[in-house]
Amino acid sequence: MDNKFTFRIGGVHPADRKLSRDCAIEVLPLPEKVSVSMAQHLGAPAKPVVAPGDRVKTGQVIAEPAGFVSAFVHSPVTGTVTAVASKADLAGKMVMHIDIDVEKDEWAEGIDLTPELVTPLPDDKQLILDRIKAAGVVGLGGATFPTHIKLCPPPGKTAEYLIINGAECEPYLTSDYRMMLERPREILIGAALMQKVLGGPKCIAAVEDNKPEAVESLKDALHFLQLFSKDYENIEIRVLKKKYPQGGEKQLIDAVTGRQVKSMGLPIDAGAVVQNVATSFAVYEAVQKKKPLLTNVLSVTGDCLPPERQHNYLFRIGIPLRYIAQVAGGVPEEAVKIVSGGPMMGKAIANLDATTVKGSSSLLYLSAKQTLRREEGPCIRCGKCAQACPMGLEPFLLKKLAEVGDQQALEQNAVQDCLECGCCQYTCPAYLPLLDTIRIAKADVLNLIKSRPKN
Amino acid sequence: MEQLVVSPSPHLHARANTASIMRDVLIALSPAVVVSLVFYGWSELLLLGVCVLSCLLTEALIEKYLMKAPVTIADGSAAVTAVLLALNLPAGCPWWVAVIGSVFAIGVVKMTFGGLGQNIFNPAIAARVFLLVSFPSQMTAWARPASIASAWSLSPVDAVSGATPLGVVSEGLRAGLPLDQIFAENGFSYAQMLLVNLGGSAGELSAVALLAGFVYLLARKVIKPTTTLSIWLTILGVSGIFYLYNPSAYTDPVFNLLTGGVLLGSIFMATDYVTSPMSRTGCIIFGFGIGLQTMLIRYFGAYPEGMSFAILLMNAFVPLINRYCHQPKYGRA
Repeated sequence: MDNKFTFRIGGVHPADRKLSRDCAIEVLPLPEKVSVSMAQHLGAPAKPVVAPGDRVKTGQVIAEPAGFVSAFVHSPVTGTVTAVASKADLAGKMVMHIDIDVEKDEWAEGIDLTPELVTPLPDDKQLILDRIKAAGVVGLGGATFPTHIKLCPPPGKTAEYLIINGAECEPYLTSDYRMMLERPREILIGAALMQKVLGGPKCIAAVEDNKPEAVESLKDALHFLQLFSKDYENIEIRVLKKKYPQGGEKQLIDAVTGRQVKSMGLPIDAGAVVQNVATSFAVYEAVQKKKPLLTNVLSVTGDCLPPERQHNYLFRIGIPLRYIAQVAGGVPEEAVKIVSGGPMMGKAIANLDATTVKGSSSLLYLSAKQTLRREEGPCIRCGKCAQACPMGLEPFLLKKLAEVGDQQALEQNAVQDCLECGCCQYTCPAYLPLLDTIRIAKADVLNLIKSRPKN
Repeated sequence: MEQLVVSPSPHLHARANTASIMRDVLIALSPAVVVSLVFYGWSELLLLGVCVLSCLLTEALIEKYLMKAPVTIADGSAAVTAVLLALNLPAGCPWWVAVIGSVFAIGVVKMTFGGLGQNIFNPAIAARVFLLVSFPSQMTAWARPASIASAWSLSPVDAVSGATPLGVVSEGLRAGLPLDQIFAENGFSYAQMLLVNLGGSAGELSAVALLAGFVYLLARKVIKPTTTLSIWLTILGVSGIFYLYNPSAYTDPVFNLLTGGVLLGSIFMATDYVTSPMSRTGCIIFGFGIGLQTMLIRYFGAYPEGMSFAILLMNAFVPLINRYCHQPKYGRA
């Protein structure tokens, strides 16, 4: 048990706090109105193809990709489009939304809504890719990068590893865990589909050792699927030693393959493609059920919630966060901050009227004691930030360089490699806002790098 | 409308902070403090009290009246300096020496550079060296009580004058005696050095007490063992080579490890965050430098020990070491 895999550089061990782990996934009832964001993915926001007054069915395309890196968006409900306009997202940023009055839930034709498991994989790789693209599947591990692009390595690069990311290393979050318990077969079929598209790399589903039930669940599902078909021979379930940020692509690749992605490179440069378990499930639904991505699982959790008020919901996109909070029993008194995503990398919600997107993973209530920042002290040069940095950077140095604006030195000291995982700031005994400063410096340096002429 | 706090991630913090780390260091020092109090009695209690009071007072007064800044003595760093300085003084050394040392440590070595985190030299080590060169007789008068009872007796009792093992050896060698004779005449034994070794600084009293503190610091993840082990291995290595070359002129490795403040210095002073390197490689180089210089001073220098000089000198190299030693970065091998 000692030589379990994990990434080699840095990392921290925040307490698990997976309070909603035993809450089975419940279907969230539909609200009266939904508002669907056009920016649910990394890249160009999708272009609306419906206008106010149009009637739409559940699963019907309402927006098209507006560029190479972009994705389809589908209507999460059946009803009438009332507005196509800019609205504030959860951080207050103005984004185009399509508002729909919900009438009923009638799905567009050709979508298989039966619960039967479809195990035979299509032979045609292009068909699989087309269905993934048409379903608007994006990476659900956080970055929401369009999946079909990630599954087409650039010429000259081949995937040797497909890593299914079940690390879920952020404290509190349990949506991936519940999916691994409740839909393990679908997840593995999705993995096999992606494996097929990529030309049959070794597929490893990686789960941290704080989720033994998920490991068992995936192993059982794998044995079951292997009885049916040879398509599942080259899939392995790998247990990783718990450490944050193991779910980061670069850390996971290091943990699973022992390879490192070179600076500013992509995982495929190290021969790896990483996909989240929820993405894998979405791929299954897209290909085997022709069902577009308009649902995902989200945890309503936090220390301020008693056990009976912890939830994991199967939600549709476009649902107001305020509505979810109400369904789950209201915002608890002690909550001073509500986070969408994990407590280490998630975004603090400024606007509860914002709506769910494909990548939503939580409504996390944090108490003042837990989350309010303490008064900064002087740096005591303990080096804990550097020991914690999973990229091997020196946050104390980067902060100083950022404060004097030395972009050349910032670049030399690899500020552009920063993951923004927050380990440095989490661990700093002087409560220094290391990442706040570094994040800004990183953006500046990245702009500088991008502005250079390419040879 | 609800009031929500919005700030960038991360939204959590590990529990350890500057004050809790300093508290851990004080806890780690407590076995050594207790042992020194038991054996040196009132005189040690006086030194400890004087050091703590004058260190805290110096920091508070400077912050309040010179820097016109918030007083930060609650962070515990001045208290750590005070206890370390007290443990670095010979038991029974005059109280005014302790006051001067404290004012120098905090006022000159720490605050003139800007306070916590800014100083180049470890305040307690710098103060010890300052006192050693300023008041050589007071700083090398290794008085020791005749017994525990006399240490705690209210009526003044004549203290027995003693010398540190290193001092005895150094003197003996100068007199032309072979080492085994010096050891035999003075009854030196490793067991005694490990448990209770009277004579020397208060903090050098018991190796076991210091090692207990080391284990605590490691368990609480306050320090990494790199610097300390690097010092130990260098001292063992260097003295090992000389000892093998001529065992009657050069003291043996274990003796060198257990005497002259090596344990106190390597566990508590060389690992000071502010004045030691950031990277692992840096810590190895730093420890090597300290170990090497300590042994060179002991074998060839004018002072019988040398740990404090070695740490002080290596403190000056830390910025340079930090400049050239970095930890490995991901994806840039």
